[in-house]
Amino acid sequence: MIKKIFSYTALILLGFTFLLPFIIMALGSLKETQFAQLDPLFWIPDDPTLSNFQYLFNDGMFLRWIYNSFVITIIPVFSQMLFAGILGYIFAKKQFPGKEVIFWIFMAVIMVPQQLLIIPKYIMFSDFGWINTYWALIVPELWAIMGVFLVRQFMQGIPVELEEAARIDGANDIKVFFKIIFPLSMPVIATVGTFAFISNWNDLFQPLIYMTQEKMFPVTVGLASLLGKEGNFGIEMAGATLSFIPTFLIFLFFQRYFTEGIQMSGMK
Amino acid sequence: MITLENIKENNSFASKDQLPRKKNANKRKLPFKQRIKREWDRNAIVYIFLIPALIHFLIFQIIPFAYSFVLTFLDWKIIGDSEFVGLKNWIQFFNDDLAWKAIWNTVLFSIYYILPTMALGLILALIINLKVKFTGFFKGIFFLPVVTSFVVIAGIWGWLFGGTKSGLINYLIGLIGIDTQLFLSDSSQALIVLAGLSIFKVAGSTMIYYFAGLQSIPRELYEAARIDGASPVKIFWRITFPLLKPIHFYVLIVTTIGSFQIFDSAYLLTGGGPNHSTTTIVYYLYQQGFAGLNLSYAAVLSYALFFIILIISLIQRKYLGKEDNIY
Repeated sequence: MIKKIFSYTALILLGFTFLLPFIIMALGSLKETQFAQLDPLFWIPDDPTLSNFQYLFNDGMFLRWIYNSFVITIIPVFSQMLFAGILGYIFAKKQFPGKEVIFWIFMAVIMVPQQLLIIPKYIMFSDFGWINTYWALIVPELWAIMGVFLVRQFMQGIPVELEEAARIDGANDIKVFFKIIFPLSMPVIATVGTFAFISNWNDLFQPLIYMTQEKMFPVTVGLASLLGKEGNFGIEMAGATLSFIPTFLIFLFFQRYFTEGIQMSGMK
Repeated sequence: MITLENIKENNSFASKDQLPRKKNANKRKLPFKQRIKREWDRNAIVYIFLIPALIHFLIFQIIPFAYSFVLTFLDWKIIGDSEFVGLKNWIQFFNDDLAWKAIWNTVLFSIYYILPTMALGLILALIINLKVKFTGFFKGIFFLPVVTSFVVIAGIWGWLFGGTKSGLINYLIGLIGIDTQLFLSDSSQALIVLAGLSIFKVAGSTMIYYFAGLQSIPRELYEAARIDGASPVKIFWRITFPLLKPIHFYVLIVTTIGSFQIFDSAYLLTGGGPNHSTTTIVYYLYQQGFAGLNLSYAAVLSYALFFIILIISLIQRKYLGKEDNIY
């Protein structure tokens, strides 16, 4: 009994602390508040208004940023799921010359921080004419090593017998993959998708460098520019709320895949 | 006595012996074209998908990695040809006080950030592991900041830790009689506030690691300890904590690598200031490369970052391999 009371008290206190910033964000977005007259408890609701959201919708630029974010997120998400599935299958189940070497190189390259690659990539993309285009943020993200690792690990656990049975019935690789392996691997492929969504949607560093025109900003960079220049705290919070909603929905529906994915990537 | 089985066995042995030789002979005899065709029939899926992926990998990972290294020996210019300058950029790096301050700031940030993140993650995992009702719901709440972008959290954080009386934290500490603090505008506090943001954002994922670790500890150990009359505190320090050793180590490595790449919060909240107290390696790299357009020098900084992370990763490889079979 004491244990239970202790558990619930700890859970509720910690839970409230973790939620508080989000509560402040959501309630703060409903108030028109100038920075100058900001009060520590301004977010406690009295006469809420949607005018901050109206302002952002009428502004035009903000919706464009959200749209940009979707473009640079959705395409890599599906591409990464497909490639992680097929490449994971190839490295888990197929035998071909150079397999070990290629995998070893992947293992090594994963340690290279993205910040190192961004400088030469900026020069390359300038030459390609990719600066201020979606290409710079989509094409490099079409597949990612981490996802292949996760999927490979998962597929190694799928018994060979399943595959062999299908092969006796005359199925080829593509059929085996799409009819048997892919459906069985859906949980891990969903994990790859959710990770890709969150990391692309939330990425600040890369678009900050490749996107210099306001109309090409994704919502992270746009919101960051808003944080600097708006005098109205309510508008900032409304922008934060709007950019948070897609990640929140993804999280709400795919939470299981996040936690399982984190465990898989860490533990053997 | 010769039985049917014996004959069969002998035959099968003989054929097994010959089979590999035959195969090899066949392989040698096959013309090149047919060998290609056979490999294609067997592995078409490999070539159709792996080759484009490898080309992509070459263009977006390998070439930039190599080019970045070349860049450190050049004086890259936006307009006109780049000049070869030898070790000039590297010498500049070793003499650049601000670069070393950035590295020091990053180390300092790690010190503020790593242990609290691990401790908070462990505490959250322990509470979740009590398995009362609604723990799944709270697990979600603790994990929520992990999936939220730095920009969103920084927007709120900047106000929470506002350096005037209008910030919530100043208001709260004011209630217990502490003077208004400058927080983000104070060069000795700003880095700690940024570390606090990262702790809040990352503790949920360390919680997941620890939670997985807690579940792999055999129940019998706890039961045995309880029968011996050990107190919960003793059980924690004698059983739970030591048995989580591989997790401690893994989380330590992951958070350390993460902490050396910290950029977003410094960019969003302090702009490296005040007085360069929050200029981290990556922020300095960004400033040099993309605000100052000194890309060659930024490449040197990025290699410095790479070497630091490489050393941490090598330590991980060396020790994690050993600790794998602890259970």
